[in-house]
Amino acid sequence: MNAATQYIELFEAERQRIDSHAPAPLNDRRPFAAEAFRRLGFPSRKVERYKYTDVSEAFAPNYGLKLDAEPLQADEQLLRKYYGTLANVEADGITALNTMLVQDVVVIHIPANTTKELPIQLTNTLRSSVPLMQNRRLLIIAEEGAQAQVILNDHAEAGQDFLTTQVTELFVGEGANVEFYDIEDTHERCHRFHQVFAQVQAGGRFTHATFTLAGGLSRNQTDVCLVGPQAQATLLGSAITNLNQHVDNNTLIDHRAPEGVSRELYKYVIDQQSTGAFAGRVLVREEAKKTDSIERNANLVCTDEARMWTQPMLEIYADDVQCSHGSTVGQINDEALFYMRQRGVSDAEARMLLKQAFASEVLAAVPLEPLRLRLAALIEKRFRNCEDCKLCKK
Amino acid sequence: MRLQSDTTKRMLEIRNLHATIGGKEILKGIDLTIGEGEVHALMGQNGAGKSTLSYVLAGHPAYEVTEGSITFRGKDLLALSPDERSHEGLFLSFQQPVEIPGVPMAKFMQTALNAKRKYEGLEPLNAADFLKLMRERRKVVELDSKLTSRSVNEGFSGGEKKRNEIFQMAMLEPRLAILDETDSGLDVDALRIVAEGFNRLRKPETSAIVITHYQRLLDYLKPDFVHVLINGRIVKSGGPELAADIESHGFDQFLQ
Repeated sequence: MNAATQYIELFEAERQRIDSHAPAPLNDRRPFAAEAFRRLGFPSRKVERYKYTDVSEAFAPNYGLKLDAEPLQADEQLLRKYYGTLANVEADGITALNTMLVQDVVVIHIPANTTKELPIQLTNTLRSSVPLMQNRRLLIIAEEGAQAQVILNDHAEAGQDFLTTQVTELFVGEGANVEFYDIEDTHERCHRFHQVFAQVQAGGRFTHATFTLAGGLSRNQTDVCLVGPQAQATLLGSAITNLNQHVDNNTLIDHRAPEGVSRELYKYVIDQQSTGAFAGRVLVREEAKKTDSIERNANLVCTDEARMWTQPMLEIYADDVQCSHGSTVGQINDEALFYMRQRGVSDAEARMLLKQAFASEVLAAVPLEPLRLRLAALIEKRFRNCEDCKLCKK
Repeated sequence: MRLQSDTTKRMLEIRNLHATIGGKEILKGIDLTIGEGEVHALMGQNGAGKSTLSYVLAGHPAYEVTEGSITFRGKDLLALSPDERSHEGLFLSFQQPVEIPGVPMAKFMQTALNAKRKYEGLEPLNAADFLKLMRERRKVVELDSKLTSRSVNEGFSGGEKKRNEIFQMAMLEPRLAILDETDSGLDVDALRIVAEGFNRLRKPETSAIVITHYQRLLDYLKPDFVHVLINGRIVKSGGPELAADIESHGFDQFLQ
């Protein structure tokens, strides 16, 4: 039995229980999603956006489906209006799978011209006595002129296998400003697929920062559509990998209106035998005149076994635009390392400082200051916990 | 006249040192003894091996010592890692200090200083004491406080980088300082500040190797000995008058 069949059978067998647990707008979409998933199956590496990640192993185990005792409750009117309107099940097998099986939904709604003074934090801590799969949805609706910061934290208890699919749909209204932070700090037995679909209206601003500190297979696919004039998108990503980690960030910024601004910066520190991939496509459509776009990916590859694939892409169909894209893959600077050691800093500490320094550029671009400081501490801790680092071991 | 120190306590002894980089021999049998508190000037044309000698002393991994020995305060220097050499009191002021974006200068110095203290069995310096020390030492070389809040050497002018080297020396209080063309890239005023700073910071027992092309720096640092390095060997050693001789007659007199 192949993995896709296993999930279809699970859906068919559990359909009633799944439906009874969720509000109608979620259930209404399931048959369409199941139909699409049946057709698409799991994306193979022949699918362009999945060429750097083999998803088959992550989905091979049979996790079954565990549902909470309490049925989900959410504003059905909001769900009817927004749910599933950006996340197209026809386009991607994993989005289809998630929509078919979704069992967890969070809706954040910021009414027009409202400012959330404090960031909204969602913390998922995975804890289970058996291997666990979860299929989550997050819906963020910021109406005209609304402002909000949302932080998503993913943690997991050690010693268990976890599989997460998450689909996030974000609606950034006219002149609205949304910052969405995603911090994945789990362990090597956790695999996570996060599909983000964002739509930004005229004059709206959207910032999305992804920090992959620890995990097994991590894949973030982020699609941002700038649909109104002078819309802005900033995508930031920082990945710190070791052991057998694999991190794949795949982005699409679709400029559909004039005078849009997009900025993209992804930096990876790839250690031991881990692997990383970045593919970022910036599409400037004919009507997106005076688009201003900069895309950059930089990577520090720390060992001979570590691997990085990078593919920045720029497609321009409009006149009068300012766009650039580029990527670099490098190693620890030996002269900087020697300079630091000459001053008495040990090899391990100097390497750690250089890796931290490399990652700090993404941090510096994070607008939310308390989070920036917290992340700096988490990143330092992450580097010090690396197996090759003997600093903390007495 | 003494050509090599023999009466004072020995700090550094280099014997028949041969070193290569990428298979090419640069040092071809260096013998040099430096006593406590002595300043030795090392002069010679470009490519003679002056910087190679300083890199070999500091333990740069690109250079391979193929023959000879270096003893530093009774220890086999070549058996120590670059950071251990630093802890033992060896400091190299780089000819071209490296820019390290993203590593804050203060954090770097605090890490370096506390590593040295740990090596000496001392507790780490607390933040307040560290900042006080940094402020104090910064003043000696008139280093702008803005620079110590930036990344290591990033965006520093040539002169600022050299001042920053002497500032770091002041923080780490080495026993032997190697100044590799610390005067290059400095204007007259900056040179005076750096040289006077160095003189104020050094203790009577601090020794120095000063690599330079010019008399000007030596006017301030007043070497006890001057050595001429040609093609990987010391061909002539003398007192301060040798530097003056080179200043007026050049190196041709030693080329045979």
